[in-house]
Amino acid sequence: MTPFIRIQNISKKFGKLLAVDDVSFNLERGELFSLLGPSGCGKTTLLRMLAGFEKPSEGYIEIDGQNMANVDPADRPVNIMFQSYALFPHMSVSNNIAYGLKRASLPSDEIKARVEELLRLVHLSGMGARKPSTLSGGQRQRVALARALARRPKLLLLDEPLAALDKKLRSETQFELVNIQEQLGTTFIVVTHDQEEAMTLSTRIGVMDNGKLVQTATPNEIYEKPETRFVADFVGDISFLEATVIERTGKYWLMEAATPIYAIGSSTLTSGMKVSLAIRPEKITLTSQSTGHLNEFPVEIEDWAFYGAGTQYKVIGPDGIKLKVYQSHNQPSHANPRHLETGFVHFSPDATIILEG
Amino acid sequence: MHSLLQKFGRLLVIWLPLGWLGIFFMLPLVEMVNVSLSEARRAVPPYNPAFQIGKDGISFQPVVDNYLLIYEYWEDYLWPAVNSVRLAFFSTLYCLLFAYPMAWWIARSNKSLQHILLVLILMPFWTSSLLRMYALIGLLNPNGVINDFLIWAGITVTPIQMMQTDFSIYSGMILTYLPLMILPLYASLVRLDNSVLEAAADLGAKNWDIFRTIILPLSMPGVIAGCLLVFIPAVGEFVIPALLGGPEQLMLGKVIWTEFFRNRDWPVAAAIAIILIAIIILPIVYARYQDKESIS
Amino acid sequence: MERSNLFLITGVIAAGLVVFFNFDTSNTQKSQVAEIEGELNIYNWSDYIAEDTIANFEAETGVRVTYDLYDSNEVLEAKMLAGSSGYDLVVPTADFLARGREAGAYQDMDLSKIPNASNQDPEIQDQANKMVGSASAGLVYMWGSTGIAYNEAMIAERLGDDAPTDSWSLILNPENAAKLEDCGIAILDAPTDVLPNVMTYLGYPGTSTDKAHFEAAGDALSAIRPYLRYINSSQSINDIANGDICAAIMWSGDAFQAAYRAEDAENGHVIDYYIPDEGTNLWFDVMAIPADAKNIDNAYKFVDYMMRADVAAENVNYVWYASGNKAAKPDIDPDILSHPGIYPTEKAKEKLFVTPVYDAKTDRIVTRVWNRFSAGN
Repeated sequence: MTPFIRIQNISKKFGKLLAVDDVSFNLERGELFSLLGPSGCGKTTLLRMLAGFEKPSEGYIEIDGQNMANVDPADRPVNIMFQSYALFPHMSVSNNIAYGLKRASLPSDEIKARVEELLRLVHLSGMGARKPSTLSGGQRQRVALARALARRPKLLLLDEPLAALDKKLRSETQFELVNIQEQLGTTFIVVTHDQEEAMTLSTRIGVMDNGKLVQTATPNEIYEKPETRFVADFVGDISFLEATVIERTGKYWLMEAATPIYAIGSSTLTSGMKVSLAIRPEKITLTSQSTGHLNEFPVEIEDWAFYGAGTQYKVIGPDGIKLKVYQSHNQPSHANPRHLETGFVHFSPDATIILEG
Repeated sequence: MHSLLQKFGRLLVIWLPLGWLGIFFMLPLVEMVNVSLSEARRAVPPYNPAFQIGKDGISFQPVVDNYLLIYEYWEDYLWPAVNSVRLAFFSTLYCLLFAYPMAWWIARSNKSLQHILLVLILMPFWTSSLLRMYALIGLLNPNGVINDFLIWAGITVTPIQMMQTDFSIYSGMILTYLPLMILPLYASLVRLDNSVLEAAADLGAKNWDIFRTIILPLSMPGVIAGCLLVFIPAVGEFVIPALLGGPEQLMLGKVIWTEFFRNRDWPVAAAIAIILIAIIILPIVYARYQDKESIS
Repeated sequence: MERSNLFLITGVIAAGLVVFFNFDTSNTQKSQVAEIEGELNIYNWSDYIAEDTIANFEAETGVRVTYDLYDSNEVLEAKMLAGSSGYDLVVPTADFLARGREAGAYQDMDLSKIPNASNQDPEIQDQANKMVGSASAGLVYMWGSTGIAYNEAMIAERLGDDAPTDSWSLILNPENAAKLEDCGIAILDAPTDVLPNVMTYLGYPGTSTDKAHFEAAGDALSAIRPYLRYINSSQSINDIANGDICAAIMWSGDAFQAAYRAEDAENGHVIDYYIPDEGTNLWFDVMAIPADAKNIDNAYKFVDYMMRADVAAENVNYVWYASGNKAAKPDIDPDILSHPGIYPTEKAKEKLFVTPVYDAKTDRIVTRVWNRFSAGN
């Protein structure tokens, strides 16, 4: 079976600049896929090629079996929600939503019914007559979403859909967006630079760096098993230890990183290899006394920050290795180490991530 | 000391433009109303001011005879007024049709090119408009550059009569007033968010549809401003039709000129000008007022 | 000299500002600025003086002259009526001078201060005085007529050898006008110089102020209106010289300027000018002193200089208008003296007339008739 959306070896050059570099991935119907990456990584360019505003320099895009190469933006079964929302300021909310339906020459009573339905979907019933300028940021975002959904696209593109909202509204809207997506079953591609947003929203994430798609996986895999240092660093907080492989001891590999560390890793490692060890802050436990766990060493506490649900520490271990440690407050912690100046950290070998090269 | 300076600066910023408007716009207008209510006479000045401050104190003795005279001979003023409004209307229309694509093109050019193009648009303002009219005559005359070329190229045998036609008049009007139309159009088009246009295309709109439903409505403030900027001076225009037009072009501006210079009747000239201002300005004020009403 | 109304926009604005800033000149006595020795401010028609006359006067007398130009009587009149023009000597046409004097804008000229006034041709000066209504209004500088300028070849081609190049009918007869439509007819935009002549063509006295006569003249003009290229005072000089029009009612001096330009351009067009046998109006441009002139003595000095026979002759030879100076005649170019379009023959003189100075009511009639003709309704 051919995939619903196929993106094959897409590249885009602007003059000498290679904005998108040989990107390929497939999407199944109903997926909520995030393109995650820092600004300038090419994710928006990729999105604009999907919408049809840019032509790929190389490669092709297929949606539901149809090659998009010579299809105008107006004729694609694709709609986009712009980061700025791009609402038509001179039209009422209803007319904004009805715009795409009118272009399709639907009968007016059908348009009316569909607009009402969409207004209900985005919780804006009764606001149809308002002008966009009289709406709040969150309301505008929902008008933009309703407008983009009106033509029942096979694929909906969302360019930084939550970036313009304040933090509290953002998390509420995230869930609403997922709800709507699940309700309608439309395939979504969300472009975002916010890894948290990508994590919450998506069924799968594609991480982009410098025009290349570096890893495509579920949010969990991206978090737990980043394949490159860039992905590990970009998604969530993480600490890196430079280590040298010593030998395999049973299930684990023994490494030397100022202090001996046991880590889980593939069998492709060999003795003497230089690797990066990555550990998520919440996987590390900080104690005031030594507990005798594997991978334990003493640290000096350099700094800490209170986050409500937990506390984040910056600690310095032997040989000046730096680690970030996150302690949740509901952990039956071994004494609150907040006022400590020194202590011990330990982490399970299973929590380590080995990044080669 | 510092805040005193600031205070002074603020006062200056507020009162300087107001003072400017008062001295160079309001006072002449008030003086014109004053003249229009005065009695003509053969003296220096050639009217007896209705309002005067003299050694006998302040006196105000307005006469409405000038307005009555215009009322009595209304037909003499109506047809030139119709001519003027027609000229202004079509000049505005043609300017709009030419200016819109140009303004669009400038607004969509890259920034550095925009500056160059805007300077080029403004360039004609640096030369006398009369000189530009004579240059146009040199082009359009039966023995002018264009006819010489057409005859040389074998396109026509006898010169084409372009001068003293509507074509020459409107060429002159467009030449003179086009920048006044382009600039406000440009200002409104350059603010147009590209993503709004892309959103329309994305929602199924083709080029003409995008223009009709998005670009045109969003540039309406520029269209209105440009039309007013062209229409208002064009109504009073008579030099261009006199230079480039045939005998059928008696404009209201010329009628005011005749009242002023030929009949030496400054009060009547002032009265016509006041009526003209009222006819042009009142609908605009009314429209603005309606606009405000509908918003609140 | 171009009597155009094209530059008048500036005139209107200037006059407006002048009026504005002289809010109440009638009641306030301006403090007299002490007379500055050696200054003279002259306001004259453009192209109306020989090139070195001013420089020669300055060299001879040491007076510093500021010499400004205007293109129409109307501009000059608006300045004079607004007051405080700053000029010491101006050159209005007689009827404008008459009205200006009535308004109190000019002062009398004391001819005893002008020894060379005796050079003046009394016949010309008397006619001007009659028109102005005073013998001490000023001295005639140049005078001329209104007539018809035409392109010889183009007229012959369309009307044959018996073309009436001695009559107003060349243009005013609709049959002739129809035949000339394609090569272009122009008429001065100057009602007081055109309507009286149309009246003489119709057999009425050119000096009439009868409303019915003006209206008849307006009707006659309306009859040829469909054949007119335009009504304009300044364009015809160039256009007739270039062959863009072939016949025009023009002022004598303008017509000779056009003929000279055509000759100079060697474009093959020969332009001639005639005073129609039915007669025409004469006009006189008079040197006069504004009521509020400050350098009166220098103004007299300058008028006296201009009245010198050799200076007057030089000016005539340069501008091709007839001079009011009789003593200058021996020094004037014989081509000019013998041209009947400039110095009319004795026979033609019998039919020449001087239009009266119209009162405000007549002004209005003339303007209305003219506007209706030019608006075509």
